[in-house]
Amino acid sequence: MNIFNVGLLTVVRRPVLQLAAQNGKKGVLLLKMPCKVVACRTLALSPWLNKDTSPHATEKLDLDGWKHVMRSPLQEEESERTLETEEDSQLAATRDLVEMWRLSGKIVPENIKEEELKILMECPSKSSKKKYLKFLALKEIAKKTDKEKNERKKKAKNEQKLKEKEDPDDDLENQHGKLKNTFLMKFWSRSEDGVYNWRGAQSMIFGQPLVYDMAYENYMSLREMQNAVKQLMECEGLNRRAMEPFHLHYCNLNADDPYHKEFIKRYGEAWDKLFVTVTEKDHVEIFPRDQLVYLTADSPNVMKMFEHDKIYIVGSLVDKSIQTGLSLARAKRLNLATARLPLDRYLQWEEGAKNLTLDQMMRILLTLKDTGSWKEALQFVPKRKHAGFVETSYSKHPFDTRMMKTKIRDVMASQENTGKPFARNPPRQQMQKWWEEIS
Amino acid sequence: MVFFLQTSNWMLQTLLKKYPIFCPVPRLQQLPAIFGCFIFTTPYQSAKAVDPKAIRKGTVMLRSKDEDMKKSRTGRDNFSPRPFNLFAAGASKRRGEVLHDTPDDTEHPAISRKQRLCSPEKPLSAEEWEKLKGAFGSPNQFEVYMLNQMISDNTPIDVAKSLLAAVASRDGDIPYRLLVIYLALCVSQEQTEEIYDVHDIMKARFKTLETSAYTLLIKGLSSSQRWRDALSLLEEVKKVIGPSKGHYGDCIRGALINQEINLACELFHEMLAKDLMPNLGTMQVFFDTGKSVKNDQLKTELIHILSYLRDNQVYPGEALMQSIKQWFESIPGENWKGNLTTLKNSGQCPSCNEYLESINLSPEEYSILKEKIIKDVIQGTDTFIKTTPQELEEFKVFVHKRPPFDIVIDGLNVAGICRKSNPSQTLLDVVEHLAQRNLRLLVLGRKHMLSRSHRWHRDNLAAMQKKADFFFTENVSEDDPFLLYATLHSGSHCRFVTRDLLRDHKACLSDALTRRLFFKWQRGHQIVLSSYKPRKKITFEPVLRYDTIVQTSDNTWHIPYDDNILERSSYEVPTKWLCLQKK
Repeated sequence: MNIFNVGLLTVVRRPVLQLAAQNGKKGVLLLKMPCKVVACRTLALSPWLNKDTSPHATEKLDLDGWKHVMRSPLQEEESERTLETEEDSQLAATRDLVEMWRLSGKIVPENIKEEELKILMECPSKSSKKKYLKFLALKEIAKKTDKEKNERKKKAKNEQKLKEKEDPDDDLENQHGKLKNTFLMKFWSRSEDGVYNWRGAQSMIFGQPLVYDMAYENYMSLREMQNAVKQLMECEGLNRRAMEPFHLHYCNLNADDPYHKEFIKRYGEAWDKLFVTVTEKDHVEIFPRDQLVYLTADSPNVMKMFEHDKIYIVGSLVDKSIQTGLSLARAKRLNLATARLPLDRYLQWEEGAKNLTLDQMMRILLTLKDTGSWKEALQFVPKRKHAGFVETSYSKHPFDTRMMKTKIRDVMASQENTGKPFARNPPRQQMQKWWEEIS
Repeated sequence: MVFFLQTSNWMLQTLLKKYPIFCPVPRLQQLPAIFGCFIFTTPYQSAKAVDPKAIRKGTVMLRSKDEDMKKSRTGRDNFSPRPFNLFAAGASKRRGEVLHDTPDDTEHPAISRKQRLCSPEKPLSAEEWEKLKGAFGSPNQFEVYMLNQMISDNTPIDVAKSLLAAVASRDGDIPYRLLVIYLALCVSQEQTEEIYDVHDIMKARFKTLETSAYTLLIKGLSSSQRWRDALSLLEEVKKVIGPSKGHYGDCIRGALINQEINLACELFHEMLAKDLMPNLGTMQVFFDTGKSVKNDQLKTELIHILSYLRDNQVYPGEALMQSIKQWFESIPGENWKGNLTTLKNSGQCPSCNEYLESINLSPEEYSILKEKIIKDVIQGTDTFIKTTPQELEEFKVFVHKRPPFDIVIDGLNVAGICRKSNPSQTLLDVVEHLAQRNLRLLVLGRKHMLSRSHRWHRDNLAAMQKKADFFFTENVSEDDPFLLYATLHSGSHCRFVTRDLLRDHKACLSDALTRRLFFKWQRGHQIVLSSYKPRKKITFEPVLRYDTIVQTSDNTWHIPYDDNILERSSYEVPTKWLCLQKK
């Protein structure tokens, strides 16, 4: 607002006065001049007036002075505004409203695109409008900080370069450093990608299938769908980097779905090069029914261990409105086995829903596949949701092979210790002696 | 010894807190109305009025009986011995107190802010403001903070003016944000002249305003001389974003104060057409105006408001109730007399001896409800979410093959009522208790009840199955929808037993009208086990026989209203009534 006003002031002062000085002979302008100059004068004078009066008579403050200030520049503005009001469309009105909201200190974006405005106008209620605006505003802020950060980095880099140029000695050393004798070329991420692609290709042939069921499109809002795609991209990335990737199947993904479009929008050309099986078919058409296990938090069955010959299905559903039983209903319809993670058995659950995001699920499954250890796998459950691991789970669940091994190792270690009982804890012995001396 | 005394004293105190029923007499005296209303143990008994004193005696007797129970009682099976209706206002709160033994949370010390800068009492000069600002932690927020502080401190308006003057002299402009807060200050102090000025300034400076400014301006202007400006502002709000009920309410208030009855009615209807539920205050202004203005149009409008209350199941608060009462009593030539009363379960009003509307649904309503329950609650968007089509079909065949039931029991809910006793035993007791009355029973359960376990004894199940029909759903299915279907299918005489409030099923219904129907049906057909002691005593809460809704007959009006003190949850209904009678 201030900037706007200062701008306005300059508009008022400069062009008018300068123009008046330059072509003062033109009668038209001279006619226009007086009112503007007056407006200008009140603006310029009011602070002086106040400063003059206040120290002498503190009692008699000009309480309504601000009103004159507020009123004075209005003639100017109105002429500007009347032009705008001619196209009084709904869109402009909404834009104005957003602008006014911004002025009143609400969290709304500074710049808003036409399409965003349209989405905003389609919001059914006032609160949904405000929510959407807040979302846009936060997005804008995040973008801005990112930009600033990048610029700062760039600046730092440039400075570094300048420095290098300034110190030729240093530069020489660097040159030597770079040309050091090495048996490897610089390891580019490109070469890494090559490795990942080989692994991906291998998993396409030999890997254990993992199915993402994309049939929940109708249950999700636009934003939930976008979030789901984002999470799926992360899943795919995690899987690619894994030692032994799953063979991912995106089932029930039709070519015309907004889901599919969002994927293509996000991945771009890379979509066609992914090592993922994308199919319109249902998972029951591809795989034998008895091998399929639908993973859902609503399932009555607790998953005991990761089985390498099963095909796990994860519903790719981001559910912010808590529609319970959706994926369980789907599994029921297709008559599939279901399972849920043993969260309660291993974690002291505190808050939050037991449904995890798709990428957390992926991490857990990958870890389970590699190690078979629930404790290691469930560390990917967000920390805020639980208070820690349940201690007793070690001894209770012998099916956990890895834990078994550690247990055996522990037992063996303790047996070793029994041979020389005091060897391992000398400090305690000392403590005892010290205690005896004191007493 | 001293230690012992202290602890025993402490024990006594906690016990008193935990079981309000053992409180000394004065606290009980606050509740006679509720007692008088719901003291009937079963729905089959004929209604009897019992005065509160008798109840007090009864509770004293209970106290000695329960002596040994006291210590062993755990939270969940701690039934309050007083019978009270599940849907009576404040019931859920009392239940919550009994269950959780909430500590007094009055000891929340006012959170001291880091910087609590009091607003000055006298207008300051620009330099003095600058000084204050320098002392303030975040200078950008200083003006906003200060003005807000002035609103909460109710500082004289001159102080705010001086602050604005300081800002104006510094920047040559005042941000919109500050203007809005200043406006809020003016409105809260009803500074009409200032509101006019700010309105003019805002109108001149800004092409459009935003919601908070509109709200404040409408509120400020509607009670002043320039109330018509508020109407034009309302028109502007309509262009940008839908007006709220508050906007309409303020405009209506303005119109009514200035005797523009037509306009007020128009606005009121417009508001209703937009599905905005008017504030109780808005309706109150109508009735208050009706007291002084004798106008046929206004009278029909007021009757219209009363029917609106009825149709939407809105209950007036105490203030509105008083206005309604006074308006009725002020109608010339009709001689209305208003009384505050509570009703007997028979549905007879003690002050005029009229019987209130029955809670039973009309046949059309009943069939609508039945259809909607099947469509929305059981099938929903996907039948598989709550059950499976096969199971639903199976259940339908099961129900249709049998003659109508009298009572449908939610087996698992009833069985889980008492933690100490075995679930199958609890259920058996209840079934036997009901079977003694020659009622046709249906018990719904899940299949896991059939599997052999220490919780579900074979013998008990076998004994029950002789006395009642059983239907076991899959373990992953929900049994409540089946309960609703079976009860509705059996006809309007059929009731169901569960402690569940069925709120989640009510929420599944698609429109507000059916939800209201469902709630009415639920109040009239749900039987709640109010106290149970293993193998001894079973008491049910009474089922209401009358509908709690604004209602009229030839020369009476009965209007339920909300007590100011009692907090009512959305799934409860008020217990107090205003009875208006024409003599």
